[in-house]
Amino acid sequence: MPTISIYHQDFERLLGRAVTVEEIEARLPLVKGELKDYTPTSGELRIELQDSNRPDLWSVEGITRQIRSALEGCPVQYPFLRTKSRPKRRIMVAAGMENVRPFVAACTAVSYRMTEDGLTQLIQAQEKLADIYGHKRRSVSIGLYRLNPIQFPVTYGLVKPQEARFVPLGFSEKLTLQDILAIHPKGMEFGSILAGHDSLPLLWDKEGQVLSFPPIINSQEIGEVRPGDAELLIEVTGTDLRMVLLTLNILAANLADRGASIEAIEVAYPYATEFGRTVRTPCEFTQVQRISVHAIESALGLPLGTEAIKQALTSYGYEVKASQRKLALRLPCYRNDFMHAVDVAEDVAISRGYESFTPLMPAQFTVGALSPIETISDHIRDHMVGLGYQEIISNILMSPEDLVDRMRLRIGDPGQFVEIDNVMSQNFSCLRSWMIPSLLRVETASPRTFYPHRLFELGEVAVPDLGQELGSRTLTKLGALIAHPTSSFSEVHTSLDQLMYHLVRTYTLEPTSHGSFLEGRVGKIICEGQPIGLIGELHPEVLEAWQITMPVALFELEVEPLSEGG
Amino acid sequence: MDTMTIHESLHPLEVNILAAFDQTSGPVKDTQLVEMSHLEQSQVSMALGWLQAKGLLRMESEIVTPLVSLTDVGQRYHVVASPLDWILGALSSAHQEDRRLTVKDLQSKEEFQPTELSRAIGLLKKEGAIRLVSGGVVEATGVESPTEKALRSLLIQLHEGPKGLHTFPSSLQTTIRHYSVKRGNTREPFRIEERIERVYLLTPEGHTVAKLCRPGALEEVSQLTPEMLKDGSWRNKRFRRYTINLRPPRVAFGRRHPYREFLDSVKGKLVSMGFQEMRGPLVETEFWDMDALFMPQFHPARAIHDVYFVKRPTHADKIPEPFLSKVAAAHENGGSTGSTGWRYRYDRQRACRLVLRSQGTAVSARTLAANPAIPGKYFSIARCFRYDQVDATHATDFFQVEGIVLGEDINFRTLLGLLTLFAKEMAQAQESRFLPAYFPFTEPSVELHVRHPQLGWMELGGAGLFRPEVTHPLGVTVPVIAWGLGLDRMAMVALGLHDIRDLFSCDLEKVRTMRSRFI
Repeated sequence: MPTISIYHQDFERLLGRAVTVEEIEARLPLVKGELKDYTPTSGELRIELQDSNRPDLWSVEGITRQIRSALEGCPVQYPFLRTKSRPKRRIMVAAGMENVRPFVAACTAVSYRMTEDGLTQLIQAQEKLADIYGHKRRSVSIGLYRLNPIQFPVTYGLVKPQEARFVPLGFSEKLTLQDILAIHPKGMEFGSILAGHDSLPLLWDKEGQVLSFPPIINSQEIGEVRPGDAELLIEVTGTDLRMVLLTLNILAANLADRGASIEAIEVAYPYATEFGRTVRTPCEFTQVQRISVHAIESALGLPLGTEAIKQALTSYGYEVKASQRKLALRLPCYRNDFMHAVDVAEDVAISRGYESFTPLMPAQFTVGALSPIETISDHIRDHMVGLGYQEIISNILMSPEDLVDRMRLRIGDPGQFVEIDNVMSQNFSCLRSWMIPSLLRVETASPRTFYPHRLFELGEVAVPDLGQELGSRTLTKLGALIAHPTSSFSEVHTSLDQLMYHLVRTYTLEPTSHGSFLEGRVGKIICEGQPIGLIGELHPEVLEAWQITMPVALFELEVEPLSEGG
Repeated sequence: MDTMTIHESLHPLEVNILAAFDQTSGPVKDTQLVEMSHLEQSQVSMALGWLQAKGLLRMESEIVTPLVSLTDVGQRYHVVASPLDWILGALSSAHQEDRRLTVKDLQSKEEFQPTELSRAIGLLKKEGAIRLVSGGVVEATGVESPTEKALRSLLIQLHEGPKGLHTFPSSLQTTIRHYSVKRGNTREPFRIEERIERVYLLTPEGHTVAKLCRPGALEEVSQLTPEMLKDGSWRNKRFRRYTINLRPPRVAFGRRHPYREFLDSVKGKLVSMGFQEMRGPLVETEFWDMDALFMPQFHPARAIHDVYFVKRPTHADKIPEPFLSKVAAAHENGGSTGSTGWRYRYDRQRACRLVLRSQGTAVSARTLAANPAIPGKYFSIARCFRYDQVDATHATDFFQVEGIVLGEDINFRTLLGLLTLFAKEMAQAQESRFLPAYFPFTEPSVELHVRHPQLGWMELGGAGLFRPEVTHPLGVTVPVIAWGLGLDRMAMVALGLHDIRDLFSCDLEKVRTMRSRFI
């Protein structure tokens, strides 16, 4: 989740009063924020915001707005949402956009002067919104322009990549869209969003001046905003109309908080949208929600009453109408995170402060217990410890080399182990399918600690099994290993024998052949007619492959058949 | 230490040496001690060193004496004969058999080097014991060779053992010097070496202790044996005192992994609080790992760079119904959960995609769908996998401790109550704080911060009430607490570690020496 940089003075200016860093930190629970770092010389605060459903909070304006509501006990008002007159500026959407990047929203911000701080914060908000909320511009991207040179109406339409030309930000000569995708850094970074389209989106004005090539790059002439600029155009394009509208609302509210006068723009579509063919932006697009007071009270475990809940929500930015035990709620225009009454319940709790709720112990009686597999596992661990074995806990991710090559087995048969598709490191590219390689990894790393080495690990492995729902089974296995100059089959057999005696299991060993072991010194462990494991002395080639210079004898078995009723 | 204590802590070798001193009551040479004590030279040296260190005796002087001994050549002369002896013998037997021997005949004897024989012939001729006649023939004269006689006597005497050079008459000393190994000539029968004898004297304290070592005092032993117990002879023994503050040798012994001990204490506490353990598979479908937890399929934490995907098979055949349809509806429009849902087209194929379990909450989701007890408390300590670069704070796979509480009485306040209990039981914290948090599957969500007695304020875990979009599609209609505890930092402090990878170390020395301080 995003971490943003804000500045103490800027924060105070937006809040309208002086405030210490400690006071700011104490208020951060209101926005699910955490102060990560503070630099007194520059006044910079680094704040991490947790809630991925509240992009409005990813800016200093959003944070101060939430705190202002709490201090003032009522929502911050945005008059531009109430203006009814028809907007004087229009954006015409051309046919065909519905197949590429269907939605656009825009507004102007006038009658104020862009400050250094304001521009820094605006660009940071733009980046966080497009990158995190907008899925790296795929769902939402944002353009900012100097308003003056633009002649309305503006057209949002499609052009052939090699036909349109303009000077993109950071360049001095005109490039075609095709060239921008090929050589401009932003074209190379975001071009894949437009892959597969013959015609590409472009915004141009009445005079044919190009504003931008969404979602890639603005034009150098119009699309470069500087401190001191007095009039701006803000535009958002994307693939989800609600996300586009919300993003514009957030930016409009942020600029309004800095004193700008926001004027709406009318967007005319040649196709139907969820909100009609003509959409005035910014706008309140969320619905009024009707929720019972009881739902909130029972979720919170406290009979707060209608009035207290209303007050808590109003101080948190909601518009609330209450009648009896019913609430009619509307989220502020910069939020669209309502899904269920529980979301409102949390806002009530946050608004009142979690510390205001007295904890209550769950009173209902339950019986605790370990799972049968953990019970037998603990039992076996006790025996192995008593037999003189040191327990090992290894990582479960290993490599095919560990599981097969170094074990003198044949690689290539698919389905010997569960492999990862998106491997990060070859050393951790599959799940272990048996326990012995984990213990050998310890032996390889530990030739200098004194002998004898007696090791065991009891834990999970995964074996492929196409007959299973998940294509594999998770098994709990015990591996036991001894390494010292005279380690032998007979010694490790004694341990197995003692273990099985005390688990009250009868078993037999059946001679078998296995690449990892010396011929004639390896057996299957058969318990109640089922093979449950292997015992033997490791083949010297295996030891060489692991660079182990001690003879090693070991056994491995499945734990589940040994549990009660297993 | 008093003399009695010193005496009782003496090693048997030391006792033996002191007893020998006690017999002579004067300065004693180390060579004498070897004879008197019937010990090996090395044992005597060892005991003398110890006794000197304890201040019971001191070295008075060193006596340097030239000592003669046989070399390998000398040993051979003793067994076979010296070249002089042999030549005279050969001539004598030839004479009896009426044969004649030439110088050449004599020089062809294999036992000796030609130079050795030439030198011997020269000497015998000089001493008049032989003469050369025409044709290179050698004849004995019957005159005795004094050198041959001296050599024979010396070989016999020195064969018994090395002797001081000065114990021989001066004529023999000349012979010895003539026939001894010198630089540039190693093929001689004798060697003269300097023997250093050290003379030792008891200190006054040594005298006192030595008296205690007289024969007839109790015999000192180091080990009580079964035989001594059977025949009662232990009564006539004295048991040597040990120096008990020496470091003992290390041994290999069986032991649980210290991290296991930590996890055992965690699971023990959870069971004692009424939680039942649940288990789940390492390989999961995206459905149980994420969809069932109401994480939308477009959620950023579901991308290729956050979760490990399984190579083959890539997908499970199917997801059990009615869960798939109900979860799909919850995502798309809320279904019957009272939610608006995430408002997107749910991809049922994607739900089948196999991944390595990325969060322990997947186990809880499966439990919710499997008719859990109500009221019920469940926990799991589940191995989880994240697509992270491995470093000091990220292991390739790690344990997550998490669980659920189901019941009619579950709400935000009982959630806080449970967390307060965790703070006390899991971290011995007297103070705790609750902060608003965000998890896709809970609302309200809480972060639990505690003041740990050693670590100070720390985040202990995250929790919340499962959203109805999680519980209802899985068939649970009572409220459910979901909680997760971040215990690795506590475990690392308890085990004195600074790198999370050390919790899964494959360095046996590290594992053997790792200790847990349960804090």
